[in-house]
Amino acid sequence: MDGPDGTTPLLLERVTVDYGERRAVDGLSLTVRPGEIYGLLGSNGAGKSSTIKSIVGLVRPSSGSVLVFGDDAVSDGTRAKEHLGYVPETALLYEALTPREFLEFVAGVRRLDRAVASERLRTYATAFRLDSELEEPIATLSNGTRQKVLVLAALLHAPRLLVLDEPLNSLDPRSVRIVKELLLRFVRTGGRGVLLSTHTMEIAEELCGRVGILDQGVLRAEGTLAELRTRAARGDASLEEVFLRLTRQDEGLTEAVASLDGP
Amino acid sequence: MGWRDAARLADVAFVEVSLQATYAFRQGNPVPSTDGHRMVARAQRRVTQSKVLIAGLLGLLALGSSVLLRASASQRAQLAPVAMPAGLFQAAVLTGLLGLDVVLLWWNGLQALPTVLSSSAIAVLEPLPVDRSTLRKVAFLLYLRLFDVPAVVVLVLTPVAVGLALGLPAGLATVPAGVCAVVFALTLSLLTGRFFVRRVQGARGGGGRSVVRWAYLILWLLPAFGLLAFVIASPPFFRAVASLTSPHVVRSAELLAAVYPFTLAILPPYVAGGAGALGVPSAVRAVAVLWSGVYLAVAAYAVLWLYGSVAEFGKLPALPTAAGAPSTCELRPQRPAWAVLTKDLRLASRTPGYAFLILLPLLDALALGLVTYAGAPGSSAARGVALAAVSAAALLATFFGPAFFALEVVAQSYGRTLPLTIRSMALGKVTLIGGIYVAAGGVVLAITAFRIPEPALFAVFVLAELPAVVAAGLLELSLLFRWARTRGLPVTNLYAGSWNVVAIAIPGVAVAVAPLAAFAAAGLWGMALVAVVALEIIGGLTLGRGTR
Repeated sequence: MDGPDGTTPLLLERVTVDYGERRAVDGLSLTVRPGEIYGLLGSNGAGKSSTIKSIVGLVRPSSGSVLVFGDDAVSDGTRAKEHLGYVPETALLYEALTPREFLEFVAGVRRLDRAVASERLRTYATAFRLDSELEEPIATLSNGTRQKVLVLAALLHAPRLLVLDEPLNSLDPRSVRIVKELLLRFVRTGGRGVLLSTHTMEIAEELCGRVGILDQGVLRAEGTLAELRTRAARGDASLEEVFLRLTRQDEGLTEAVASLDGP
Repeated sequence: MGWRDAARLADVAFVEVSLQATYAFRQGNPVPSTDGHRMVARAQRRVTQSKVLIAGLLGLLALGSSVLLRASASQRAQLAPVAMPAGLFQAAVLTGLLGLDVVLLWWNGLQALPTVLSSSAIAVLEPLPVDRSTLRKVAFLLYLRLFDVPAVVVLVLTPVAVGLALGLPAGLATVPAGVCAVVFALTLSLLTGRFFVRRVQGARGGGGRSVVRWAYLILWLLPAFGLLAFVIASPPFFRAVASLTSPHVVRSAELLAAVYPFTLAILPPYVAGGAGALGVPSAVRAVAVLWSGVYLAVAAYAVLWLYGSVAEFGKLPALPTAAGAPSTCELRPQRPAWAVLTKDLRLASRTPGYAFLILLPLLDALALGLVTYAGAPGSSAARGVALAAVSAAALLATFFGPAFFALEVVAQSYGRTLPLTIRSMALGKVTLIGGIYVAAGGVVLAITAFRIPEPALFAVFVLAELPAVVAAGLLELSLLFRWARTRGLPVTNLYAGSWNVVAIAIPGVAVAVAPLAAFAAAGLWGMALVAVVALEIIGGLTLGRGTR
């Protein structure tokens, strides 16, 4: 799609996600700009995964709009999905397939050229040292190896937007380093963007240009680390301290920690 | 911990199994937008409904047998292909009933076991301070819960049905046979389940290994195929039973009297009518009594084996069957519909519930084709059986739509994030459905080409039905996709969603039957016309615009 919206990797406007009576995301609006890694921070149950699921088509928002490079992910999910690569939090895959068979399926659905797909697989599989496990059934692979398969599947079609839900959780240090490098290089060219959900503050601090702090389904604060420090009135604080302050989770924290010595 | 505590833990574990059977969270299905308590209640209700469906079938078989057991001499003459004493006829009927009981319970177990594994309901108890003995009890009780309603029907309703027909003592004499049927079915389920996990689930693709994997999967077909085998084999079976009365065939009679479940089925008619009602030599009765004891001893041992083995099965990991297969980075992407077809075929060949469906029409065609081959060459009766084989394959294919849709529940959370249109998905799946149907028709034609008159016309019959089979698949898949969009993902696995499968298959069966009815009324041209019109209408509605 042409026009100004066609260049914005991700635009969420007043997105609400409900599970029965429970509201997981409440009127969330955010933008991932071209060339940006946007970090979505939040405690457990803050609504990060529900937000991501509404972007990738796993959950239908009760209201609001999700635009991926201008394509509506809610009403025309197929077009929006062509732009994005997704790494879920839990590596749940077709267990009976091998990684190569799974990636072949993904490449087929994404209509990739045989030579291009094979070359990309060769590059990433070598980088992640996955080439010896491409013929093993996914059921027999470790969580970390499955996660690597998902990263490969997300990158195979050279997407324009990467949506990552806690992507580094199960990875070994070498793979974590490679993924970080990949993300930084990914956004350098082509007006691409990354939405990265995490509750590891160090990762957000290291990679993200801007972060949004989600709490009980509501965006409490958004901006660069410097902007958030200013807002939290903590000039030299770490992102963790800023996060705890803005989500008011620092209240009673000292007492809670002290009480651990009690029992 | 005692049995009471173990039962409490087994109850909790069974809720988890029901939840995973219905929603398959551990296989990647996202949490639906509904209240958690309501979700659990719905899962339990669905599993119970499916159990009741199988139990209902078993109950109908028992009550139907009760009617047969009371058949008069003239009715027996119509039912059995050869004359035989009343007691022997009753033993033959009971043999069929007990055989079907085992097959249906076994099949029920095969549907449930992969869910037990994927639920990790036993494995999650391992880190808790639960001793091994309690863990065994929990696993054993959980395993019994998988079969509870159908097993109770076999244990209670079978003796009641026999008691109603032949009197209370005969009913009580059926109890050992019922117990053996349940124990053997549970044992066969676990044995084949273990075999599946060790040899099939972890098997890789490629060349000879795929052939071996498919060969293994025939094992999973045995339960369902057993039903068909019984129906096909019944005339020869009745003849063999009738031969027991002859004093000149003692050796073969002794052999038959030793075969399960016939040996246990002799007891109730003997109790009801004495040796005179059976009309068999005393040597046959002696062999039956001896082998009844052997089967009861085997059943007792099987219970002990089950008690010790179920816990191990519950935490069994999927094991690869071959090591060190060479890796390649070569990808051969296909068009989306073909990619779906290939993926479904690969998954199905490594998943018993689906492999069973794919192979069933082929083996059905093989069996009926062989019956045709054994008949008189060139006879119209032989052609009738061949046409019946193809019609049966067409009707069986109508259950493939829900089955292949159920595959999408596996790793659903990833599959739904891909830019895959409903059109591509449906095209891939109906191509596979049509392919299986044509393969079944091809099997019948290959076997019977020189036995039936005008084999070319038979080939036309197979092809004329094909558009209707495809249309039925498209209709079912389109209904399921619409259902998924508006009401959430429908469960179509047979352990938790058999009602859904039946509900969706009804319109499919109607579409598949219409050309067969037209064939009876107007011949091949009428059949082809109805099938093509059905595909034209349903294809236009389901594959047209708006199916992205």
